[in-house]
Amino acid sequence: MPYYDIDSILTDAEKIPCTFQLDIPDLGYLDNTPNQPLKAGTKVNLPLWLAEMLVIANTGGPDNKTFVTFDLPRALGNDVIQALKADPRAVPLRDQSAHFYGLATHMMDLSEEQELGSVLRKTFVTRAAEISLHARKVGGVSTKGKGKEEGSNLGIGGAGEEFLRGLDEWERKLFRKAHDGAKSGKEWMDSIKKN
Amino acid sequence: MALPLPLGLTHSEVAFVAEMELVTVVPRQRLESIDLLSGKTPPLRPPHRADLPLWLALLLKKQRRANIVPPPWLHPASLADIVHRETKVHPHAFSEPMPTASRARQSQPGYAGRIGGGDSSEVILSPPFRSNCTSAAPAGYLPYHWLEVAEVLITHASDDLGGNTSEIRGLLRDLVEVRAAKMRDSAETLGAEGQGGVVSLRGVGAMELAENRGFVLGVVDGVRKIGGAVETARREKEEEMDLGGGDGGRGGYGGDGDSDDDMGI
Repeated sequence: MPYYDIDSILTDAEKIPCTFQLDIPDLGYLDNTPNQPLKAGTKVNLPLWLAEMLVIANTGGPDNKTFVTFDLPRALGNDVIQALKADPRAVPLRDQSAHFYGLATHMMDLSEEQELGSVLRKTFVTRAAEISLHARKVGGVSTKGKGKEEGSNLGIGGAGEEFLRGLDEWERKLFRKAHDGAKSGKEWMDSIKKN
Repeated sequence: MALPLPLGLTHSEVAFVAEMELVTVVPRQRLESIDLLSGKTPPLRPPHRADLPLWLALLLKKQRRANIVPPPWLHPASLADIVHRETKVHPHAFSEPMPTASRARQSQPGYAGRIGGGDSSEVILSPPFRSNCTSAAPAGYLPYHWLEVAEVLITHASDDLGGNTSEIRGLLRDLVEVRAAKMRDSAETLGAEGQGGVVSLRGVGAMELAENRGFVLGVVDGVRKIGGAVETARREKEEEMDLGGGDGGRGGYGGDGDSDDDMGI
């Protein structure tokens, strides 16, 4: 992953819920109580890059506690996972997080959630097939590859657009790739007739 | 980012390469042999058929100096057979690629060998040099450049196709759609647990590869990233178990255990 990968930076900025394990002086403003120490057990939403560090590092004290413990963000909460298990296509992932898969893979690095991995994998490939279908059908020769802004010409109505709106960044890239392939295929077909 | 060009060949590049395929022509005029980079073309004597590269055949066709004999697999019956096989017989696999040209051995009745198989100087294997699109090609199989050659012939040599261009065009559309659907489904099998995430692309044509390369690679990459965390966790666990067992038996030779692991992978 390149250093200046904007998606990776934005993924690191996603907030995840953390619980502090010990009192920390002068950090009270994080919990809207300025000029007071941050109490142990306070729940604060921290960006992923910070939380990651605090979860991995330990305080060096005798009990070897870490600074914070974290929960899965709501985007990866139980109800979302259950919904994905039921029908991956029906969940607008973008509403959960614009960088859903990036967030999820980060969280899997931090916590060993076996089930999450297999659910995500199934979700990704099922939705990938759907994305490919839409990418082939959407629009004719469109401008800048933004086919999804144009209406479909093959009778995929509101439902398809609803689905495309719910794609997260990984899936948007995939859609772009699939659409580019289909588009240049069409352009080639047309070019034969010209010369 | 650094290279704006996509991976692999683009559509126009594939179409360009496809013009190297040999096709059979029936010349209307005499033409002496031409010394091309790819070798000498056969001299054209009007009633006799000859095999020429597609680009040259198209040129002569446009100048009305030759007629192109369509390859047998482009016949509607052959295409219909392939569509039937793709949809009914093997609904989940691409149809077989064209077999290597072979001929019954006269010395051993009941056996067949590759043409020129005994003579190493004559082995003809890779697509542009195999006569996949000449009139000698077998029917019922799709060559590597099927879509390109078929489209070009329909557009520029439709009068040589026996007057059923629209039927051929329809069958080709069916094939394209059926195979695109299979390509989509192949993405789903990638995610199935315990399959190792491998999809067989045997029999897929060059143009289809150009069209789906980005998508398939994207899916593979995504699955890899999602599986990455689980995979590292699993590998770490295995390593721990290995080291744990090794400590008891081999004393201080834990390092050896590690290098064995690397060899195994």
